[in-house]
Amino acid sequence: MKKLKFLLLLAPFFFASCEKEKIEGPSLNDLYGELNILESLSIVGDSADFSIGESIYFTASFSKQVDWIIRIKGINSGSVKIITGKSNAINQTNSLWNGSSTQLPFFIAEDCDLELMFEIHDDTILDKLNIESPKLYNTENTVLITDFENGFNPNFTGFFQAGCTKSLVTNGAGEGNKYLAQYGTCDWDWLIGYVDYFSDYWYDQEDLVNDPTKLYFNIMINGASTISDVSNLPNSLFKLEFYEDENGDDYYDASSEDRYDYEFDVDWTGWRMISICYNDLIPPSSNAGDGVKEPSKIFKVRTLLLANPESGFAKADVDFLIWSFNSPILD
Amino acid sequence: MLFPILAQSQVKSKLWYDGNARVMYNRDALEGTLKETDTVSTRSNGEGFTILDLGFHFTPVDDIEISSEIRLKNDFGGMWGNKSYVELRRLSAKGVVNNKIAFSVGDIYLKQTKFTLYNYEQELSEYEPSVFKFYRDFVNYENYYQSNYWRLQGVQTNFSYNMYNFIEQLDFDAFATRIRGLEWLGKPELLMLGGSAVVTLSNKINLGSHYVNTFEVLSSSNGTVAYYNPVFNTQLSYSGSLKDIPYKMLLEGGFSKRGWDGDSLAPEIKGYFTKVTINAKGKKGEINLGFRYVDTDFRSIGSQTRRIDNNNITTTYPYYSNDYTQRKVSVLDMMSDPNVYNQNLSTSLMTYNPMYSSVSPYGDATPNRIGLTAEIDNLDLTDFLSAKIQTQYFSEIIGQGTIHKRSFNKSALHSLLFLDKLLSLNKHLSLEGSINLETVKRDGDDFEKIDFNSILYSGSISYELIKNLKIIAGAKVFYVEGNEFIAERDMYDQINDYLNNIYDSKETILIGGLQHHFTDDIYFTMQYNQFNVLDKTNTYDEFSLGRLIFMFNMNL
Repeated sequence: MKKLKFLLLLAPFFFASCEKEKIEGPSLNDLYGELNILESLSIVGDSADFSIGESIYFTASFSKQVDWIIRIKGINSGSVKIITGKSNAINQTNSLWNGSSTQLPFFIAEDCDLELMFEIHDDTILDKLNIESPKLYNTENTVLITDFENGFNPNFTGFFQAGCTKSLVTNGAGEGNKYLAQYGTCDWDWLIGYVDYFSDYWYDQEDLVNDPTKLYFNIMINGASTISDVSNLPNSLFKLEFYEDENGDDYYDASSEDRYDYEFDVDWTGWRMISICYNDLIPPSSNAGDGVKEPSKIFKVRTLLLANPESGFAKADVDFLIWSFNSPILD
Repeated sequence: MLFPILAQSQVKSKLWYDGNARVMYNRDALEGTLKETDTVSTRSNGEGFTILDLGFHFTPVDDIEISSEIRLKNDFGGMWGNKSYVELRRLSAKGVVNNKIAFSVGDIYLKQTKFTLYNYEQELSEYEPSVFKFYRDFVNYENYYQSNYWRLQGVQTNFSYNMYNFIEQLDFDAFATRIRGLEWLGKPELLMLGGSAVVTLSNKINLGSHYVNTFEVLSSSNGTVAYYNPVFNTQLSYSGSLKDIPYKMLLEGGFSKRGWDGDSLAPEIKGYFTKVTINAKGKKGEINLGFRYVDTDFRSIGSQTRRIDNNNITTTYPYYSNDYTQRKVSVLDMMSDPNVYNQNLSTSLMTYNPMYSSVSPYGDATPNRIGLTAEIDNLDLTDFLSAKIQTQYFSEIIGQGTIHKRSFNKSALHSLLFLDKLLSLNKHLSLEGSINLETVKRDGDDFEKIDFNSILYSGSISYELIKNLKIIAGAKVFYVEGNEFIAERDMYDQINDYLNNIYDSKETILIGGLQHHFTDDIYFTMQYNQFNVLDKTNTYDEFSLGRLIFMFNMNL
């Protein structure tokens, strides 16, 4: 009986000894602790040649979990890459950079300013890095329609209203040196102008993947935040139309074949990449085709610049029209 | 109208009655600087009522008793039926089947173990001098708090077998209650089922298992989520004697599970607890020693529901000052206001104010605690001086938001001095004093440090002027200073943030008056009370109040 009593007394301590290691709730240090840089920012892989698949990553460590932002800005191109994370360490896993851009235009071979910033905390760490060769976006997983570097293909036909402008411009492009400027004021029609990019004359003639869920159309658009004098809304309206040649007769028949649309306001200033999955396109109510999205049958892509005729000036320059497989071009 | 019933009860003994009668009137008036600076609130206000709670017990057959309690209430200031209320306070039936199985249905009072179903006392009520007891009785009575039972609605049964061999006796108890009824387009019904089985192996050893499961009935609502919280508790006790000192050891342990079926975001948490206590009774007093471990994830709706709901609005001056600030629940309200109390079991951990209870806000079932307790009770130092003392040391099992763990200390001392015996006086003269102390400490960096102290001094004196008529005076002074983090929890009780509260305040309660006892249960008291709440951090304006109160109480 004495042994039983002894065991009775000891049993609770046995259970209690199974102590847990974790903490309960969010860390107070992360919420209210002071931020100290334990390991300063380092650049691993500086002067990378992104064109051959090299990459750069960063390392640093902090005294607490913190929301951090790395901002890389090309000194010449003005391109910006933003990498964000929430951790107490920056490493290859959370900061790997393959040379892509967050804000257009694309990076070129150049020096870049580097900033490491933190949310809530005022600390900013500055540095510089170099890009030996920029990332190539036109790869085996893309089909380039045009980047205008070789001029405007005259087989891409179209129409612009009298007094409105469609012209090839050098310098200030979203990618490379050249882009297609589109702007003007038309007080009698919504249409400023359009361009048909026929698939027979695309720069790359590789086949598109025929799965609409894996195909993305990408286009750079340079806006000017034009606001309507009448409605006080964005004035420049951009529309994309995709025409399928269902029967392969090199002709789009509106009475029997598919067309899919996508339109949006151009309410920003500067270059921006617009990417849309082919599967997300919507047919117009008048669509007479079978409604089955078949990217391999795309006959042409039409880009239209529209504006309310009562509201004045509209602008949407374009550059780097490219198809990408599996993900948007800047993903 | 009642005379025929009473007459019948006297003749046939099939109907008898009990109940409570209470007359209370109080007039509250602002005092101090608040009286000058607060131009919004009334200078004073008063209220009073007469209450008669009539309990009828009807015995149609020998084994059945039907009980009901009707409240007749008349607020002062009403006339011709205005402000008069009649309400049903209790309706239940109980009986015995074949002299073996007892049952109760309707409004029932239930208690199991301290980790499954237990209604813990409100904070700062321990070792309270007896002159404050009339307030405490009033608050507890109005909230149906009978010792540590929860009042619930349902059915309960119990029976036992005497076996006269190795197993001497088997006791079984089971209940089913409805905690929350149907809500139109609301939450599902919440039910609680429970049971106990206790085996008495010999006069020395008892083995008991207790189980409570609280769950929502999904089919009773249009929702897709249903709460569940089963808790299991096993107890093993041994009674013995060492050098003619009887002692009892109690070892208990158990576990809980809590989650929401149908909610992919809701975590299912499991926690366990263990406790051992040794109780020994000597000639001079009684000693209790204990060890307790309650897991961080231990959840038990029946034992972790608090009496005080800090979200309730106070009755006395709920808003004050020219900013119309809502007055927080303070010592004065905890002592005297039944409306700051809660009568329903809560499915999540209720918020608490660390000022008044930081060590064990959920009683023994407070999660994330490991530590030792010691208590000496009924310590008769001399024939005129008795004392009781307790101390508890706890630590967190895991740190809250940090690897540094809080350490807790809760100590209390109470002493009663019969001056009439000491000074050989003919008339009763007694002096009572108590101290309740709580400290919380946590090391670490500045942003996580905790240094918190609260202390309540209470004292009273009672002198018998003439037979059964006493002049009484009492005081409570409560100090709190330091800082403590309050964890903010989401709908699943998971901590998502902390609030570091700085405390530096003082609360004072002074009472003085007369009290006359006709019997132990029939008395009246007339007093003047003075309350002051001073927040030295200047977050809240000073609140001062004077109260003239009269109470007549009669337990039938």
